[in-house]
Amino acid sequence: MSDRFVRAVCADEIAPGGMKAVEIDGNEIVVCNCRGVYYAVQRRCGHMNAPLELGTLDGTYLTCPMHCAQFDISNGEALSGPVPSDLGHEALPPMLGAYMGNIGMLMAHVRTESMRAYRTRLEAGWVEIAL
Amino acid sequence: MNTESRKRALQYFFEKVVGPLGFKFTPDVELKEFLLEQEVVLEAKHGTPFCPCQPLRHERARDMKMVCPCIPFHREHFDAIKRCWCGLFVHKDVVDPNTLPQLTPKDVGLE
Repeated sequence: MSDRFVRAVCADEIAPGGMKAVEIDGNEIVVCNCRGVYYAVQRRCGHMNAPLELGTLDGTYLTCPMHCAQFDISNGEALSGPVPSDLGHEALPPMLGAYMGNIGMLMAHVRTESMRAYRTRLEAGWVEIAL
Repeated sequence: MNTESRKRALQYFFEKVVGPLGFKFTPDVELKEFLLEQEVVLEAKHGTPFCPCQPLRHERARDMKMVCPCIPFHREHFDAIKRCWCGLFVHKDVVDPNTLPQLTPKDVGLE
């Protein structure tokens, strides 16, 4: 694994429980502050690419804002897939129903993959990430 | 996805919900691990960690009341028997779940 640490973000910019997206050398990364310990994972959800800094961080568990897939930011591991949505009891208009049926068929084949986790360190008030 | 990792995550989230409600995980570790594992299986199948001891009717309004921890939806009965139906959660003062009486909703005047 690489030992090239790169400055990502000033540690003061992320409150405990907060996240911030950065882009370094073309890598989209989310830096997370978990009770003063900083973690970094790829920014795009391992399910459908949603930007994870818009999700929810609880401990080391990050929930995607799009379909609520969950990940452990300490190692990038995928913990659960998307949560089913409720389309209500009323039948959808035929065209919309056919469209949603097609989307549902495709989504059934979408896998939730674990994400890349980056090593981090604190250096002179900066969070540095190993690329 | 790793079952053990998901079990630990569910435990982390559930503790935050059941603690303020006066409940804790059962001290029976073997039972706790077994039930959490079943919930991981149910979540992988349905996308939701349903209670492992209740049947699904595929009626959303009814089934959502069986999502673990289902304490808020059945609290009167659980408070009377000091545990939830499957036994994953018990009242905080319970030391030995095996000593708890088995009472139906009718026994405690709920039907």
